[in-house]
Amino acid sequence: MIARTSARRKGMVSGIAIVAVVGIFVLYPIFFLLQAALKQGDGTVEGSTGYGLGNFERLPSYASIVWNTLEVSVVATIIAIVVGFLIAYILTRTNVPFRRGLEQLMAVPYYVTPLLGAFAWSLLGAPHSGFVNQFWQALGGEGSIVNVTSAMGIAWVMALFEGSVAFVMISAVMQSIDPSLEEASQVIGASRFSTMMRVTLPLVAPGVLGAVVYVFAEMLGSFSAALVLGTPDRFYVLTTAIFLMVTQYPPRIPLAAAMGVVLFAVMFLMTYFYRKMIAGRSYVTVSGKAFRPRPVDVGGLRWVYFGLVGAYIFLAVVLPLLTLAYVSVQQLATALPAWSNFTLEHYRVALSQNAIRFAIRNSLELGVMTATIGVALTGTISWLLHRTNLPGRGALEYISMFPQAVPRLVFAFGIMWAWLVLPVPIYGTIWLLLIAYVTVFLPLGVRTISSVLLQLDKTLDECGQVCGANWSQRLRTINVPLLRPGIMAAWMLLFIGAVRELGASILLVGPNSQVLTPAIVDAWNYSSSELTAAMALIQTVVVGAVIAIFTVLTRRRELKG
Amino acid sequence: MTEKFNGNANTAREESMSKEIKTGKSADGGLVIGRRNVLRAGLSLAALPVLGAIAPRRAFAEAVKATTVQGIETGADVAAAEKEGSLVFYTHDSGAAAAAICDAFQKDFPKISARYVSLQNGALFSKILSERQASRYNADVIQFSDLGTAIDFKKKGGYAEYQSPQQKFYAPEHLSDPAGSFFWIGMSFAGIAYCTDRVKKADAPSSWKDILDPKWRGQLSCKQATSGMQFTEWYELRKLYGDDYWTSFGKQKPKGFNSRVQLFDRLAKGDDSVCTMAEWAGYSLAKQKNAPIEFVAPKDGLPSSPMANGIVSNAPHPQAARLFTDWLMSIKGQRLYQENPYLFYGSVRKDVPPMPGGLKLSDFKLLVPTDMKSFLGSRSAFNSQWNEMLGLL
Repeated sequence: MIARTSARRKGMVSGIAIVAVVGIFVLYPIFFLLQAALKQGDGTVEGSTGYGLGNFERLPSYASIVWNTLEVSVVATIIAIVVGFLIAYILTRTNVPFRRGLEQLMAVPYYVTPLLGAFAWSLLGAPHSGFVNQFWQALGGEGSIVNVTSAMGIAWVMALFEGSVAFVMISAVMQSIDPSLEEASQVIGASRFSTMMRVTLPLVAPGVLGAVVYVFAEMLGSFSAALVLGTPDRFYVLTTAIFLMVTQYPPRIPLAAAMGVVLFAVMFLMTYFYRKMIAGRSYVTVSGKAFRPRPVDVGGLRWVYFGLVGAYIFLAVVLPLLTLAYVSVQQLATALPAWSNFTLEHYRVALSQNAIRFAIRNSLELGVMTATIGVALTGTISWLLHRTNLPGRGALEYISMFPQAVPRLVFAFGIMWAWLVLPVPIYGTIWLLLIAYVTVFLPLGVRTISSVLLQLDKTLDECGQVCGANWSQRLRTINVPLLRPGIMAAWMLLFIGAVRELGASILLVGPNSQVLTPAIVDAWNYSSSELTAAMALIQTVVVGAVIAIFTVLTRRRELKG
Repeated sequence: MTEKFNGNANTAREESMSKEIKTGKSADGGLVIGRRNVLRAGLSLAALPVLGAIAPRRAFAEAVKATTVQGIETGADVAAAEKEGSLVFYTHDSGAAAAAICDAFQKDFPKISARYVSLQNGALFSKILSERQASRYNADVIQFSDLGTAIDFKKKGGYAEYQSPQQKFYAPEHLSDPAGSFFWIGMSFAGIAYCTDRVKKADAPSSWKDILDPKWRGQLSCKQATSGMQFTEWYELRKLYGDDYWTSFGKQKPKGFNSRVQLFDRLAKGDDSVCTMAEWAGYSLAKQKNAPIEFVAPKDGLPSSPMANGIVSNAPHPQAARLFTDWLMSIKGQRLYQENPYLFYGSVRKDVPPMPGGLKLSDFKLLVPTDMKSFLGSRSAFNSQWNEMLGLL
């Protein structure tokens, strides 16, 4: 009994330690941001004229930009969730052909940097010069058949590249559903569709909701697609406005921070509703009863499903990557190939830059570290949130969702100010990037792992407890194995997220800590689109290779275990 | 006065610093801020300002003794610079450009490992100011994309004074006032460019006023307010043609871009017919790839903006910074700035050879803002007019 209390106290202490760490990582930079948002004047030391609400008073004049942001984000979220849900269902619950291969390909749009997706699609679908339209005209067509520079076009591109995270999150949840529930439904005569709607959907609701909240926030914070595709038509969203404000001279950081605070408030509400909706309901699907995830035989429909997933992969992966590959070997990107235009020079330039070789290594190291530390941290947080009675765990959930709410470019300023004044020699090194990544990806990790955790029956853990297993034994032998799909998904998401991270990295890289994505964006800003395409492909191939290795290794372990 | 003061305080600081750096150096004689000894280096860096403040200031005017190394006349103590072993260059230029500069410098001075931080001008300015506010001194040499930023930085005491022996190859107006803080490392200048697939030579605009012709409505491109060069163009053409010029321009519904690459890609593909802010550098790079575009230099002149380069006060590697500056100012450095495809700037150095293509900077009529007070004072007017014109408020 005494041992039990002391163990509980130990858990308590470590819980409080986690809260403290998260608090420092998240709240401390946010404090600086709030301070900046309240600054009057131009925000520099001399230009400051005290504090006030002036920046917020100026916001209503940006109403059209706020409206644009909402329009694009809502449409993109709907597309992403519907597509993500359908594909997750097809790939985890049915016997669609080439399942494994399709699953691997589904991760690609997520690790293609959104900027590159936007860039590839602008090459494909610009109203005048887009390759699709050029071919259309070469075939004798009139005018243009696609236009990705419209609001809907932007939402489409955002859904493709920012939205594939929805698939990963939802399918992590779907994998842990006991198929007997679905079978039961079909046995009593429900159609496949109504089974999906009335059994599968409600069971994965927390995961789907989590994904909705997460994806919507991601859309609010995304800026690549809007920057590449929106600016020609004067279509701005909050993040592009913020980006242009921060990079102009004199920088208008206070106003940008105020805009960030607005996004923050929106996110706060979203998290509130998420909590309300999942509170008081049970989503347990993994219980003591044994089951094997078994795909449902859908008969001839499997080829239809295959066609659907294939079409998506063609649009989100094959077409953009082929476009990039095609552009990267041309001197000047044109729709119709010509031998005289062929060159490998861009690859030579990309690989000869020392900075890029360093950057690849740094990015991969950071990716592995972020994912590993991040999974450990967010796993613990999820545990504290859903499995303990730790006082203040509601606050913990909100805090860990905060970083999602602030555009990363703005959040990076907060992190920079926060760690500049601390007498810790971290600023300007790769460690600052690590801290930044772990912080900005807290929400992603917590959402992914929590969704799976909510499905686990507590009694499994309690069984272990009754049998006398201590906390770490239960974790090792019961919870971690059960949580495996969620943990794997989270690790992968965090790894990819860190490697392709842009907003926070731009400001925080130091002379010895260059990373890859800012270098690519930089090439897109100043060098040439052909070089950009070459660098992007190199990034895609490297990340793809790492993921392939990771998959092979984990599968081997699976087979062994 | 402030600069002098900084400069002198610096010499004292330099000494205490080189001692610190010795202890922070790794066994291979490489980086001070290497990841492995990050803690040591970081601690010594953090200690620097304190040591600098404690060390007594010596009030003497330093006589620069020039030596010639690698064909470059320098006022730096080369042995000390090599002992410092590294250099950090903050620049608004692209990573590809910065990497090329650092690589070329390192080729001449292999004992000094040159690293860079590349960031857009406004963000670079915020970054270095925040660092200084927290007494972190990571940068040795900094380059801003326009004079306004450099003058602002100078006012804040950001530069260390250094009278480079290379200054004699530069006209006094191409140096900071007074000389010793920064110099004009290169010129960016902009004219008009058009897509030859969409516009016949006879129809192409030949003067700045031609782009106001209604036939170009919706077919013009320019840069966003983030661009210092766009500001310079706005300022100079407004001086020539009055306020109405830009009001009429706004009615043309121009499209604004942040990326130079996007600007010229679109022009090459004919998405836009005419680029109204065609920087020579961007044009040269696109032309090198055989893009179907042509450059027009209106006879009234080309708005032109110097980039300013100087040594940062409290630089962690002061001698390497001097050596790097002299190298940048030399013919070698200036040729790199003129010829590297990711730079393609024009040089103001008196004895520099022509740019690729055979033209010299002096072959163009350049419009450079001279009245700095009025120039800097009009930035906010530009920002709001431009942002509003492009629908960004």
